[in-house]
Parts: sequence; structure tokens; C-alpha cells
Amino acid sequence: MKRHPQGKSDISRRKFISLSLGLAAGALFPSPRPSLSAPANQVAPTFSQFFFTQIKYEGGDWDPNPQFLDSLMEELEVRTSISGMKERRLITLSDPDLFFCPLLYMAGKNEFDPFTPKEREILGRFLTYGGFLLADDAMGAKGFGFDKSFRREMNQIFPDQELKRLPPDHSVYRSFYLIETPGGRQRVNAYLEGITLDQWTPVVYSQNDLSGAWARDRFGKWIHPCVPGGEQQRASAFKAGINIIVYSLASDYKKDLVHHPFIKRRLNL
Amino acid sequence: MNWNWNRIVIAPVFPLWVILILLFLGLVLTVVQVWTIQKRLGRPKAILISLLRLITLLLLVSFSANPSLTVRKEKKIIPPLAILVDRSQSMSLSGKGGKNTRLDEAKAMLLEGEKPLLKTLRESFGVKLYAIGESLQAISESDLPDLRATGRRVDLNEALEKLGSANSAVLLLSDGNVDWNGNKRKAPPLLTVPMGDPKGYRDISIKEIKAPPIAFRGRPVQIDVVIKSHGYSGATVPVVLKNGGKILTARSVPIRSSPGEEVISFSLTPEEVGSFPLSVSIPPQFGESLTSNNDGHIALKVYRDKIRILMVSGSPSLNYRYMRSAFRNDPTIDLLSFVILRTPANIINVPLQEQSLIPFPVETLFINELKNFDLVIFDDFFYRPYLNLNHLESVREFIRGGGGFAVIGGPNFFGRGGYEGTPLGEILPARFSGKEDYRRDRPSGVKLSRLGTTHPMTRFSSVGNGHQGVWQEMPPLDGINLLESKSSGTVLLESTDGMPRPILVVGNYGKGRVSILGTDYSWKWYMGMLAQGKGNWAYLRFMERMVRWLTRDPSLDPVQITMPAKKGEVGREMEVNIRVKEEDSSPGSKRIVSFSVFNPEGKKVVSQLRTTAQPGEFLGSFLPEKGGIYKVRVETPEGHLEESWVVAEAMEGLDGFPDHEHLRMIAETTGGKVLSSGKDVLREAEIYSEKSKEHFVEERRLPLWNAPYLLVLLLAVLGMEWYLRRRGGMI
Repeated sequence: MKRHPQGKSDISRRKFISLSLGLAAGALFPSPRPSLSAPANQVAPTFSQFFFTQIKYEGGDWDPNPQFLDSLMEELEVRTSISGMKERRLITLSDPDLFFCPLLYMAGKNEFDPFTPKEREILGRFLTYGGFLLADDAMGAKGFGFDKSFRREMNQIFPDQELKRLPPDHSVYRSFYLIETPGGRQRVNAYLEGITLDQWTPVVYSQNDLSGAWARDRFGKWIHPCVPGGEQQRASAFKAGINIIVYSLASDYKKDLVHHPFIKRRLNL
Repeated sequence: MNWNWNRIVIAPVFPLWVILILLFLGLVLTVVQVWTIQKRLGRPKAILISLLRLITLLLLVSFSANPSLTVRKEKKIIPPLAILVDRSQSMSLSGKGGKNTRLDEAKAMLLEGEKPLLKTLRESFGVKLYAIGESLQAISESDLPDLRATGRRVDLNEALEKLGSANSAVLLLSDGNVDWNGNKRKAPPLLTVPMGDPKGYRDISIKEIKAPPIAFRGRPVQIDVVIKSHGYSGATVPVVLKNGGKILTARSVPIRSSPGEEVISFSLTPEEVGSFPLSVSIPPQFGESLTSNNDGHIALKVYRDKIRILMVSGSPSLNYRYMRSAFRNDPTIDLLSFVILRTPANIINVPLQEQSLIPFPVETLFINELKNFDLVIFDDFFYRPYLNLNHLESVREFIRGGGGFAVIGGPNFFGRGGYEGTPLGEILPARFSGKEDYRRDRPSGVKLSRLGTTHPMTRFSSVGNGHQGVWQEMPPLDGINLLESKSSGTVLLESTDGMPRPILVVGNYGKGRVSILGTDYSWKWYMGMLAQGKGNWAYLRFMERMVRWLTRDPSLDPVQITMPAKKGEVGREMEVNIRVKEEDSSPGSKRIVSFSVFNPEGKKVVSQLRTTAQPGEFLGSFLPEKGGIYKVRVETPEGHLEESWVVAEAMEGLDGFPDHEHLRMIAETTGGKVLSSGKDVLREAEIYSEKSKEHFVEERRLPLWNAPYLLVLLLAVLGMEWYLRRRGGMI
């Protein structure tokens, strides 16, 4: 027990926040060097936990870019500490394994059949209590095709919520890279949309055909050109992909106070 | 006693005029009788017979007038007098002249001298002698010499209530340190005789210590100390605040008036949770009449306002996300987390300005600020690229000092030699079992070990599911660490496939607690139960209890001890309420193993424990024999719980000033007087004696008509008349 010299002191919570901010100031100091005792040549066997699970639904075109995964997982492995499986899992909404998927992916071009009430109930429960869904419109026509059907289903599952443009300070734009536009094969929207419940956004929706920008053939060539931004637009799509994956695993971690000064400084805010 | 036969009264049974008519008729009949029988018997005999008849008639008529004799009885009584001798502790202080105590002074006044006051009073009064402390106690004269001033402060109101109004007067010998509410009441006047010498009294005392009953760690708490002084105006005295034997601070306080009160405030910021015995003391001053009231004690109970967690995750993962969600939704938790987003092996393809990554401030966290946390969590975190042995040593010291440490497993935590041979390797309650440290080929369910069925971290859902509770319904874990418990570890959860392997192991190190959860798939307990439609409560509850057990949060204590809110007193039995948590108080349960009490010197004292009508509630009691901090300890199979309680020193908080002004006010309120000597007492007592010398006690009425001798007289008169008539030949 310590006596406070003036009888005045910050309360503990404030001190705790101060500590967080103080730690943020640690950016000025050099990063810790790795321990000399760490053997550089030892590589742990890889036990990936992250994998893409794609929804196979009725009607429409559920798999417009079947070859998107390898390039994204390679990028994830090289840039981040996350080890992702290159194996894509396919699932129907009535499959009970749905609840064990780190990231549920749904893509399409055309209108698809309405989900059954049971499928809606399962997907709604999964998303309401912590699951995550990335939806990717490969057509990119507002109010038509996949967009029309997807909005209909979201409206059925979340009647009190609607897909909204995610604000520029949303964690999905800051979870790994600091990005302003999400990129994609096409540039329909300069933003992502989503449904946010409390602090968590379980549904992120892109109309820029992200997977079209990630898709690569077996010879390593990009399958689709990115228009109009070219390769820079493709790079942005990869950054968005990595950010979305990191967000699905770390949630709004980047909203913690400890990150604020860094992000503000780098964004010149 | 005097008897006065001075009144005969009548109470006619008929109206008076009826009686007069009857009387008149009787006289007429008598005259007629004389006139009729004188011819036969002669005049003298006729007159005699008629006179006898007249007497008979008069007697009968007089009966209808119902005469009675009134008798008054008067008695001289000795007026009662109650003498109250104050035996409270302040009467043990020095009296006039400083040689004897105030109680000795009172005894001498009553018993000593050429003609002792008590003896003299007994001649005129029915004296009853009482000793008065916090209660009234009748004593005999022979008890008086051995009377000791050990009682608590006098409650005069209660004493007078008990005495009632039978006494003609009450004589109080006291120094004025009595409780009196000032109400006028129907009670005999109080004659007060002041003891002690107000002019010669010098004292500085800790009158009161005001502090909140509970404080929170890290938040300043104000402690106000009221200092009372007599005779030290202008002096400056030091006031020392201590925690146990350790001086926290000292301040000088100028005494501005005499008598007077000074209030000083201390501000403390408790840095640890627990119960702290604080004392405030003033060194004895020169010439002080009483020094044992220079100390005061309180027990300050310090709680944590938030549980502060530092979590380091080896990479973004579902484990991290669901744990983060659980901690963030708990308002009692402050979470500071660091997730390794990029390892030294990763390649950066963009300038710093386009990344959101921040440095991992290990030096600040693990060397400078670790003490500000309650719990450190390593979530599948391999330390070597980031932490050196000094940092791990710092974590070990943090745990030894009472911090919590949780390891969430995964492929990285025990990989590449793990923490073997490091400061953390020593404190972990498990090691990996062989060449393999992690397995992800065969999903495995979990079950509670024997100890896991009773441990607060895992025993939270036994209702309706047997001892295994909800754990048997949990989905299987895809990956587990292949652990082997050390002798210091306690296995709570085991795998269910093949040979049981420890999944959750807990242990203690120093004052701290450690746990290892050997899987990176505990998040499946969240989503898996959700998939079954059973909600996520089991995962959230497990995480909450893991945090609270590791941080020794009182909410997980198997029992709760409720101490009395008031400070204890020496010689007064105190009771402690003990409640066993609902989930542990099943019928027939004997969760409490023992109830022990330790005095300020650490010695065990006699105590009792009994059950109450409420299930799961017990009442412990003990009798404090000295002042200071007592420790109450309740032991259960799950551990022990201790609480502290302050028992005031005999003179603690006592103001020994002879308050003669207070006695004067009491005497005036009751219509009495302040008497300063035995002569004054006798003079005043004489007045009350005179007032109560004679009293009418009784008035009786004796009816005359039903007296036996009247009946005999009546029969005699009638008999004589009959005899005379027979002699005269008239019968």
C-alpha cells in the first residue's frame, strides 16, 4: 500500500488507459530484437486453423471464381502470422459443421433461390452469436442478380438491420493494412458494406468481385484483368482480403486504445 | 404506626324518613304498651318491660341506618435513596490531587471518615447501592471496596429507566463521562457528585477514525482522523499512520484550542487487494493523564475495481476472438491484448504508412508495468522471437507475488522446446509428454477429473447432468497439446480418447496461480454448444471462472464471511456470519471443515461454530480478550478464507476528561443539584428525608350492625323481657 503524495490520483481505470496510451508511445523505441537463443533453422510443423468455407446454395452461380484461394492463402502466409489452409471447404447452410467455420464465404453472379426457413434460422444464429460471412458479388450490378438475392436474404435474416456502408474507420479497413478502397476485379463501390451488431460486423459484403481479382490459373497467371485500376487495384483486393481475414479472427482489435496514436499518425489524422 | 378511631358514619339502607317513621311508631307502641300493662303489673314493671322492648326496637331500627366505624392507619416510612457509583473505565483515571483514582475518590466519600456518608445516609434513608457501567448492577456495601473501574461508558438513561420512580432521590458519583439524552422525565431528582479534577486533566486522544468500509485498489481513499485534546493548546503533535508495523506517513498537527478537536485527512492509494490493519497513533506527550487512547485501529478492506488482463496471442485466431469477446463483455475486466500479426519471417510489401501494425513494447510491458496487471495470458504464444529470459523472470516474479498466469495451448506454445529450462518452465504445472507436443489427427472430447468435479473453475453446471455436468456435451477438440501433469499440478479436464491426457491443469506458485489449457480449440465450446441450440453460456462461464480463479477473485470463494460492521469490544462476544455458496450447500453437505480465530498475537482462541435455520448458513462466535486485529479463518476442502476484525483497545477512543459541566446539566434537568462534598450531600439529603417522613397509608370501615355482640345484646334484651313477662303471668 502506498500513500499518494497529494491525496489525488487518477483512478485505476484511467491509469489503465494511460498505460495503454503509454505503451503506444513505445513506437518511438526500437522493436525488440529476437532472442539470440532462438534457433533460426527450426521450423515448427504447420497446423493451420484458418480455412475458407464456401456456401453451396441452390440456383444462380455459387462458384464464379473457383481458383481464387491459392493466391490469397499464399499472400496470407507470406505477409501475416496466420497460417491458412489452401483447401477450400464447401458447405450447405443446413450442415451442422457450419458453426465450426472461421470464415463463411458466399459468392455469385446471378439471382439464387431463396433460403429455406431452417437455413435462414441457422445462418442467423451463426452470425448473431459470433460467426462471420464474407459475401462477394461477381456481377456487380446493383439491384440485380446476386446483389438482389443477397440483400433479400439478409433482409429476411436481419429484418431490423440493413447492409450499410462501413465507415472509413471501421476495423476491417485497419486490421492489417491501412486501406481506403477495397479493390477487386471491378470497381463498383469504393467501400465495403456490412451488417453490424453491437461492436461486431458479422457480414461484410463486396460488389467488386474480390475473388475475381484473386483468381489465378495453375500456371500462375491472373485469370481476370482488374479494371479500371489494373494491378494496383488487384493489390488492393489482396490487402482487403487479408484485412477481412484478420478481422474475422481478431475482431475489432485495432479499435483498442493502444493502436490509436499509430494509426492516426500514419493516416495523418 | 398510629390508629385513629375517630369517625362513625351511617349509610341507611332505607330513606331516612322511613326510618324516622319506624322510630316514631316504635315510641308510640311503647307508650301504648306501658299504658295497657301497668294495670296488671304495676307501673315500675310495665315501664321496665316497655323499655326493654324500646331498646329492641331501637336496635333493629338502627340496623337499617347501617352504621360503620371508620379507622385510619398512618405509618412513618423511611424514604428510599439510590446511590449510583460510576464504574466505567474513565473512573480508573486519576482523581483530585492525582494520587488516587476517581473511583477511589467515590469509595472514600461513601465509606471513610469519622462518620462515613453511607452509614449516615442509612439512618435517614432506605439506601440501595448500585454500580453502573453500561448497565445497572445492585451491590452491597461489602462489594464496594473491591469495585473495579472496568465497565463501559455509562448509559444513564437506561439505568434510570430501570430504577423507576420509587426513590425519593438518586445520588450519582461520577466523573461525568456518561451518556444522557437530556430528556426530562418522571423520575426522582439526580444529586450528582463530580469526581476527578478537570483543571488538572491533560490528554490527547484519537477520538475517531473515519474511513469507508471498503476501498478499491488504485483509487485514493480518504481517512479522516478526529483528535481531541485537553490542556495542549498551542502545541504541535505528530500523527503517524501505519499499515501493520510499517509507517505509511506522518503529519504534524497544531492544537489550536483546549479543549478542542482537530480533524486531519490522510489519502491512501491501496495497491493490493486484501484486508489491511491500519493504525493511527500519537506519541505520548509530556504530562499526559492518559496515553492508552493515543492509538486507533481500523481494518481497511481493499477490493479490485477491475481485473486487469494482459493477453498476448501468437497470431489472430478464433481462440483469441472468442476469448476477447468474453472478456470485453465482462464489465469487471479491463483487457489489454497484443496479437502477433506478423512474425520476423513474414515479408512486408508496403511502407510503414500503409500498415496498422505497432511495435510490441515488451520492455515496458514485462519489466515496468507488469505489476499493474492481475492476470497474464499467453495464447499459443512462442516467446523466443520477442521475449528474453529477463522478461520471463519478470513474469515469474509477478506470479510469485500473487499474479495469475494462464497458458492457452496450441501448436506454438510448447513447440521447439517450449519453455523448458526457462523461468516459466519451473512454474508451469505441466510439461509436454514426449516427442510430440501437439496433435491434430484425432478429435477428442473432454471429461472432468475427480478433482475437476469440485474445482470452482470447472464445477459450474452439475445440476441435472451428474458430476460431469455440461462438459460431456462439449464438442470434441480438433487439436490438443500432449501434456503430462507435474506433481505440482492438478488436472481438472482430461481427454476422453484412449489414455486420458490432461487438457486443463492448474497449480500454484508463490502467492499466484497458474493454469494451462492444452488446446487451441476451446472456441469450439462456444460455437459447438451454439450449434446444438444450447447457447454459449458454458464457454463464457468457464472463461469467467478461469479468470476469477486465477486472480483469486472473492466471488469464487466457496464461503462468504460477514463480519459485524461495528468495531468489537473486549469482553463482548462477537458473531460472524458464514455462508456457503448455494451450489456447495447441498443437504448433508459438510463443506466447512473448521472455523478458527486468532488473536492479535497470532494465538488461536476459543471459538464456536453452529448451524442456523437457513441452509448453508453458520454462525461463528468468540470472545475477544484483548484489543487489536483478530483474524477469522474458515477452511473448506476448496481452500481457506480469512477476514480481519478490529477489537478496540480498552481505552481506545476514550475521552477521560472529567466532564463536571455535563453532570451539572444532568442535575438541573432532573431537578437535582451538584454536590461537591459529603456535607453537602447530607444537607440536601435531609431536605428529602423531611419531605417523606409521614404518609397516610390506609382507611378502613368496620360495619357495626353485624357485630356478634349486638346480636347477643338483642337476644339478652328480648330474653329479659320474656322473663319479666312470664313472672308477671303474661305468658
